[in-house]
Amino acid sequence: MISTFFDHELKAFWRSKNTGKSIAVKVFMGLIILYFLAIAAFIGFNLDKILAKASPHDDLVVAFCGILLVYYLVDVLMRLQLQELPTLKVQPYLQLPIKRNSVIGYLALTAMLSFFNLWPFILFGPFIFKVIAVTSGGLTATVFIISLIAFSGFNNYLALYIKRKANLNGWIMLIAAGGFSLLVAGDFVWHLYSLKAVSYLFFGNLIIKPYLVILPVVLAVAMYYFNFYYLKGNLYLEELSSKKESAKSSTEIPLLNRFGHVGDLIANEVKLILRNKRPRSALIMGLFFMFYGLIFYTNPKMGEGFKIFVGMFMTGIFIINYGQFMFSWQASHFDGILVSKVKFADFLKAKYLLFTIVSTVAFILTTPYVYFGWRTVMIHFIMYLWNLGINATIVLYFANRNYKRIDLSKGASFNWEGVGASQLLLSFPLILFPYVIYLPFKYFKYDNVGLAVLAIIGVAFIITRDFWIKKLEADFYTKRYKIAEGFRNK
Amino acid sequence: MIEIKDLKKVYNGVTVVNVPHVQINKGESIGLVGNNGAGKTTLFRMILDLIRADKGEVLLKGENVAGAEAWKNYTASYLDEGFLIDYLTPEEYLYFIGGLHKQNKAQVDEKLAGLTEFFNGEIINKGKYIRDLSKGNQCKVGVGACLLQQPELLMLDEPFANIDPSTQFRLKNILKDQNKNHGVTTIVSSHDLNHVTDVCERILLMEKGVVIKDIATSSSTLSELEEYFGVGQSTATYSVAVDKEENH
Repeated sequence: MISTFFDHELKAFWRSKNTGKSIAVKVFMGLIILYFLAIAAFIGFNLDKILAKASPHDDLVVAFCGILLVYYLVDVLMRLQLQELPTLKVQPYLQLPIKRNSVIGYLALTAMLSFFNLWPFILFGPFIFKVIAVTSGGLTATVFIISLIAFSGFNNYLALYIKRKANLNGWIMLIAAGGFSLLVAGDFVWHLYSLKAVSYLFFGNLIIKPYLVILPVVLAVAMYYFNFYYLKGNLYLEELSSKKESAKSSTEIPLLNRFGHVGDLIANEVKLILRNKRPRSALIMGLFFMFYGLIFYTNPKMGEGFKIFVGMFMTGIFIINYGQFMFSWQASHFDGILVSKVKFADFLKAKYLLFTIVSTVAFILTTPYVYFGWRTVMIHFIMYLWNLGINATIVLYFANRNYKRIDLSKGASFNWEGVGASQLLLSFPLILFPYVIYLPFKYFKYDNVGLAVLAIIGVAFIITRDFWIKKLEADFYTKRYKIAEGFRNK
Repeated sequence: MIEIKDLKKVYNGVTVVNVPHVQINKGESIGLVGNNGAGKTTLFRMILDLIRADKGEVLLKGENVAGAEAWKNYTASYLDEGFLIDYLTPEEYLYFIGGLHKQNKAQVDEKLAGLTEFFNGEIINKGKYIRDLSKGNQCKVGVGACLLQQPELLMLDEPFANIDPSTQFRLKNILKDQNKNHGVTTIVSSHDLNHVTDVCERILLMEKGVVIKDIATSSSTLSELEEYFGVGQSTATYSVAVDKEENH
């Protein structure tokens, strides 16, 4: 039975819209995954050197044993955020004459098919073979590998168990995430105890007493069965799905009333963002981008050219991150918009105004970077103008070429739905245009002129916005059947 | 009101709609019937300019709908849930639609008061987003939004399919009232022959994209239609066509 399930699972993967019919997406996905794997493999193969550099006073093996448990703690936190529950897929099997144990066994097994279970082997596997196997022998290396498998399994089922519990009660997720964060903070912030010491206590002893491997194995098996019996007792749709029922209320955004129809459209879009999982996570990711500058500006090697890039991303992350899927967000009711009295020019004006509002907020949030000099804030402001002038228009131009539907209720991380050639093409002008203009000036040492030209172009596009709206509208009218048809394709 | 001229739509070599000429006059009530894949929804979508016609045109009040906006002022339609903004509450959605027709909240509330019976207390102030409503209740929101717009042309695609018997009864009365007392031209598709023959004065029967019968409703219409749809009659040779619109 389980093999039939796996067969279905494979078909579901290859036939899903997410897998992407277009070659460009497949290539892009493949490259991204390869990139991450390559980074992990690089770290893995050089872990001995990295550890030697990071803690030069410790013995290599001691340092290695110290980080393992820390890794798994972070791993649980990441899983809580990113790992998907393999749940609703069982819905069509529940009413069929199939034993509950096979359904649950299938659920539990497919849960192991996660990239999270691959990372530890890529990261730590090479070290175990290169160092542990040489210094302590094959048996020790084997028990290390077994422990890795066991801890991954334990984490896997622990995270899923917490997530399932959290579906019934949202507080559980907060408490769990808070608990794990406190555990990490207790070491690294307050220095109450050392996780490294705890980690070494186990893995260090594992070298001398290989039979200790039984401990993580027992933990993993226990967690598996814990999960198994929990699922068995709760195999009901309402408990499997992640729908939470609570009373929803109508809200008004009084400020937007001043803008008439356009204001109504923005109010709807704001609700779209706040009430649906995927656009909401896109917005939250945007907030994290506000720290982007800290990575670059604290590094004195990064010149002013980087500030253009960083400033553009910080003030325009919403335009880029949310805008790249423009119109797809409204795919589920696009027919309704087309037959309603909404004028498309108003629709576009609403998009521009929304971009303006959010980018302005983002610019205000980045003003603390004045710490790195007023010039930094000035560059941010120039890129803010650039975003509103050029990037908003570019994004909307590509929106007319985006025919992919998006399911709003899915999370944003590792979600490839709606990604197509238009998103890839879009990234080129977004990143290249400002440099095409700025770099020639910089080359001849007229940095300030380059910045001024960027600002002037940005302002020029903002002033001529009505013209661009007309252009975009005319463009849309030639493409709308194709867009509407694409959006109808579930 | 509506004039369809030489309208044609082909998907992958299969003609899904092929209507040489149909004229619908103001104040008529049209019932559109036909098996799955007959092209009813595609025809609706072409009248609403959601699908590009391969050939021909649809004129509303003498004006081609393609690319035009004026017809939106007097046309209200509900084909499927894709017409609803599902992350809004029903009230928010209805106020939004009302706002597009320059109605303020008080005016919308007044109109909705007339729909209290139709909504049956399941729509307004229930603390749910539209996406959390059942299909039947979503249909009520869609139909309510249509009526709110006080249209001259009302188009509903299978409105009876998901709603309960009481609501079906009420919807039939609403449609009759709109048509008789407000002069609204109505086009309703349905698989329920009793309902269409009850509500509509003229029936268009589609098969494989072609309007094969265009009859004024009389006492014999129901049996005539039942004979057409009856198994073992003309359907014996009826090959199963893939429904482009309904099998997404």
